[in-house]
Amino acid sequence: MAIFRRLLGFLRPYRSGVIWSFVLATLAMVASVAIPWLVGRGIDQVRAHDHTGLRNYGIAVAIAGVLSFGLSVARRLVAGRVSLGVEYDLRNTFYAHLQALELGFFDRQQTGQLMSRATVDLQGVRFFLGYGLVFIVQSALTIVLVAAAMILMNPGLAALALIPVPFVVMIAQRYGRRARPAAQEVQQRIAELTAEVEENISGVRVVKAFAREERQLGRFAGTTQRVFDQAMIATRLQAYYNPLIGFLPQLGLAVVLLIGGRRVVNGSMSIGDFTAFYTYLLRLLSPMRSLGMLLGMAQRATAAGARLFEILDRTPRIVAPNGAPVLPEGSGAVRFEHVTLGYEGQDVPALHDVSIDVPAGRTVALVGATGSGKTTLVQLLPRLYDPIEGRVLVDGVDVRTVATASLREAIAVVDDAPFLFSTSVRENIAYARPDATFEEVEIAARRAQAHGFIEHLPEGYDTRIGERGLTLSGGQRQRVAIARAFLADPRILILDDATSSVDASTEQEIKTALREVMAGRTTFVIAHRLSTIALADEIVVLEDGELIAHGTHDELLELSDLYREIVEKGLPDQVFLTRNPVEREVAGL
Amino acid sequence: MTSAEGLSRRDDLRRRLRGTSGRGRKLRGLVILLRPYRMRVIAMFVALVVGTAASLAPAPLAQQAIDNGILAKDISTLDWIVVAFVISGLLVWVGTFFQTYLTGWVGQRALQDLRLQIFTHLQEMPVGFYERRPAGVLISRMTNDVEALDSLVTDSVVTLFQASLTLIGSIVILLLFDVKLALITFLIFPVMAIGSLLFRIASADAYRRTRETIGRITAYLQESLSGIRVVRAFAQEPRHVGEFAALNDLNRDANMVTVKLNAAYFPAVEFVSSLATVLVLIFGGAQAIDGQVTVGVLVGFIAALNGFFDPIGQLSQLYTTYQSGMAALDKIFELLDEQPDLVEPTDPVTLPQPLHGEITFDHVTFAYRTQDGTKLALDDVDLNVPPGQTVALVGATGAGKSTFAKLVARFYDPTEGRVLVDGIDLRDVSSRALREQMGIVPQEGFLFSGTIGDNISFGNPEADAAALEDACRAVGAWDFIDRLPEGLDTQIGERGVQLSAGQRQLVAFARALVADPRILILDEATSNVDLHTETKIEEGLRRLLAGRTAIVIAHRLSTIRQSGRIVVLDGGRIVEQGTHDELLEAEGAYFSLYRDWAQQAAA
Repeated sequence: MAIFRRLLGFLRPYRSGVIWSFVLATLAMVASVAIPWLVGRGIDQVRAHDHTGLRNYGIAVAIAGVLSFGLSVARRLVAGRVSLGVEYDLRNTFYAHLQALELGFFDRQQTGQLMSRATVDLQGVRFFLGYGLVFIVQSALTIVLVAAAMILMNPGLAALALIPVPFVVMIAQRYGRRARPAAQEVQQRIAELTAEVEENISGVRVVKAFAREERQLGRFAGTTQRVFDQAMIATRLQAYYNPLIGFLPQLGLAVVLLIGGRRVVNGSMSIGDFTAFYTYLLRLLSPMRSLGMLLGMAQRATAAGARLFEILDRTPRIVAPNGAPVLPEGSGAVRFEHVTLGYEGQDVPALHDVSIDVPAGRTVALVGATGSGKTTLVQLLPRLYDPIEGRVLVDGVDVRTVATASLREAIAVVDDAPFLFSTSVRENIAYARPDATFEEVEIAARRAQAHGFIEHLPEGYDTRIGERGLTLSGGQRQRVAIARAFLADPRILILDDATSSVDASTEQEIKTALREVMAGRTTFVIAHRLSTIALADEIVVLEDGELIAHGTHDELLELSDLYREIVEKGLPDQVFLTRNPVEREVAGL
Repeated sequence: MTSAEGLSRRDDLRRRLRGTSGRGRKLRGLVILLRPYRMRVIAMFVALVVGTAASLAPAPLAQQAIDNGILAKDISTLDWIVVAFVISGLLVWVGTFFQTYLTGWVGQRALQDLRLQIFTHLQEMPVGFYERRPAGVLISRMTNDVEALDSLVTDSVVTLFQASLTLIGSIVILLLFDVKLALITFLIFPVMAIGSLLFRIASADAYRRTRETIGRITAYLQESLSGIRVVRAFAQEPRHVGEFAALNDLNRDANMVTVKLNAAYFPAVEFVSSLATVLVLIFGGAQAIDGQVTVGVLVGFIAALNGFFDPIGQLSQLYTTYQSGMAALDKIFELLDEQPDLVEPTDPVTLPQPLHGEITFDHVTFAYRTQDGTKLALDDVDLNVPPGQTVALVGATGAGKSTFAKLVARFYDPTEGRVLVDGIDLRDVSSRALREQMGIVPQEGFLFSGTIGDNISFGNPEADAAALEDACRAVGAWDFIDRLPEGLDTQIGERGVQLSAGQRQLVAFARALVADPRILILDEATSNVDLHTETKIEEGLRRLLAGRTAIVIAHRLSTIRQSGRIVVLDGGRIVEQGTHDELLEAEGAYFSLYRDWAQQAAA
């Protein structure tokens, strides 16, 4: 019920629309009810052989028809606007909320699940709030009015005839209680299905590479079967309760025929009253039947609403305090103070008591085995995650105390598999600053060594990048990502394995690009190749989330066994170094 | 107006007249979907007819009760009729129960079949197909569009037949009452037909647009949620919220057009009905006054009119569901009609089990299709890889290395020339049979949600835990897996985000090892693995490569040096090949690549 009330809250901006659609619906109902009455009067004129009267009533029927037409058109327009408005608002609210949630939330959510909520679930809510609600109110009102008329006419018989009504209400309620969880589970399983479809489409290369189509199809068949099973549970409830709700009022009719009929026979009731009474009861039938259907609709909407609120109620965990100041001007000094961080669901902390002090403008290489916490550490800077213990300071300010947007504007990330949007190359480069001029975009691309290949694309900077930028090679994507970081003009730059997926000659270009972008910024480099590590002023060695060594290349060769091992085992990569001793000196190796 | 404009206008009108394209095809499609369940469909119709007939009974029974029971003061007849009345109610109950249940069953089953059919079809499409389409749009076909069909199948079928039955019955009743009045009433049909035609012309595009806009919303959601890290890192949330709102706006506008059309159409149907009533009243009334028909007939006729107009109203209501369901079906069939570019052989040649693993490129040329023409990726490549050899492909970005690998896996077919495995043209074998003996480790290790163990046994579900552990040890993945809370049974989040890129790659290696393929393709597979780990998995890599034919695209010298042969590609051509030492001796393209390397690494 709480969910229901909250859903109604979304109607608040459309209060006047809701009232109008109710008023219009009632008026249209009156106009269409008037038609049979007017026809009846017209037939009276026939009996009276009155041609003019007949024509007049004919015209009156036509007028009532026109009125009902106009009112219905107006009601549909108003109700449609309300229902689409609610859908629009809900979807925007939902999306905006997703954008406000912290990254950790998405680690544990399947994209398809969220998509299902924003489309399938939302439509259920829309239909109910836009159309269903007005009809529920209308049906309920009709029932109350007709019941009142019956009671006024013959309280005794009315009481008998209306006996089924409380049962209908009770059963409808019971139906609601049982149907809501069933409907919610259907929605949940449809969301699972969406998630599975999404995963199979994203991972299609792996499926094909291993020729596992049949297995995936088998799994998907299982998922569709789960949807089917649950839909059948809901259908069975519907099949059981709906006709029951329709049947009970008919018992009322039977009672009227039986008891009322006897009264007419023994003369305690006029046949006219009896007919009227019976007609009234007939009028109850259709609102009661549709009430059952509408309640089902309400259940689905409430179930869908519950799933939306589940997300909307999840408060963002990474938020800046109200009125947080923007990140003060600075040149990008970074301090990690006793930082500890664990991911949800993992026992071992990803980082343990890490402290690093990086003066502005320095370049720090993070070195360590796969899973040692390098990426986790740099993700703390733009506050993609918050540490459990310790603090992260940028230019002397705890990142948790400043406006998150201002913090992130000061930091740019280029990672190993850069994600590009399926828009034009230009828009991708200007991602952080959509207002950038074309000249600025081009300069960024030139400095990122991307201008050359972009010019050769079919439509240059306006070339749309295919789904997830698949039409660009790894090295090209990387350079677009570097240009993107360039244009963002950050004071802190994070290069997460940014040169891993490119070949030697391209890496040369990317290195040139990186050096350009690194100039005058504090830079964190996560690298597996000594050649990239060589870009750094100092090196931090991580192992199992702990900082085990920190210093220059030469210092670490002395101090750290692990580093020495990395350097030595990495030797195959540096055969050339021995061949080019001069350049080797430049590299500081 | 030029004649060309006139022509295109006429074509447009014709297209809109047809409403949605290939209606016959779609109806046939629906019939085919329902065919396996025809016994249930028949049972459903029986229940439907019984329920509908029983629901018509109360009115005449009540009439009987009044005339023969109450007015005739015959209490026992009254009682019997009331009993019949209650029985008819029970029949409605039972009929509705079965009809609801069976409709739900058949409808859900048909939708399940349709989903599976789309899924199977998508799986048959080659990789190139996915590169041209946003994932979200494909997802929307299987979710939003199937949902739209759901309401068509479950709600509308019943109404359609109930209303049609009632309509036919009413037509008969009206004709029995008075032919002339009935014919006047039937004047409504041409008017309705013209109205419905206009409605269809106006709404054909409107419903298609609602399907398209919801598809775009889905696609946008999918992309911006997949790229959420980038969005966060650059603090561009407000912008995405704005862009999303704009798409949402388009969807609302598209829906608003249908709301407006419906707002005009349905009340218009009611209005035409009330006009027909007026005609009957005035014309029939005049006749009754003149004594040509009895008042009783007129009253009965007007009473029967309701039975005629109600189903017409219901049927017109149905038309929306029908339109939107058909638009959805249109989109679904559009997808199902897509033919894979890669044609599977009808009579595939059986591959040797196991393969020897000889790969031959016979004058292979390959060009990608782009928006404007083609882009040459491989140009007349001739190469023979003997079984068991490891070939390293070397060359600058865009030299054609990945294309080479994709042709071996038959993700694409060559534009010219042939790719042969064990002397058999790949176009003559089923790609599934080929890939069952082939392992591919891509650059980005894509993992499915589920446990790590599930992912590693992906290519060979029969592998037991010990085999998985062995594979993990061999590729150096065991260290970190063993430390996870539940080892191999640890669930990994959406796309395994909780693993680092390097860890995902190690899992992908183990996955390839467990699949035990004859031919192995490593596409820049070691680039995400750090040196420390790589040296540890060197032995594993060697085991992985031993006895298999392998195509390795790598940037690591260590990996390249190990391979039996190095093939240097440039601009889609083979410019050089040989062993590491031979090529260095030759001081050709490899040598200069090598020098670049030296310089960049040193710089």
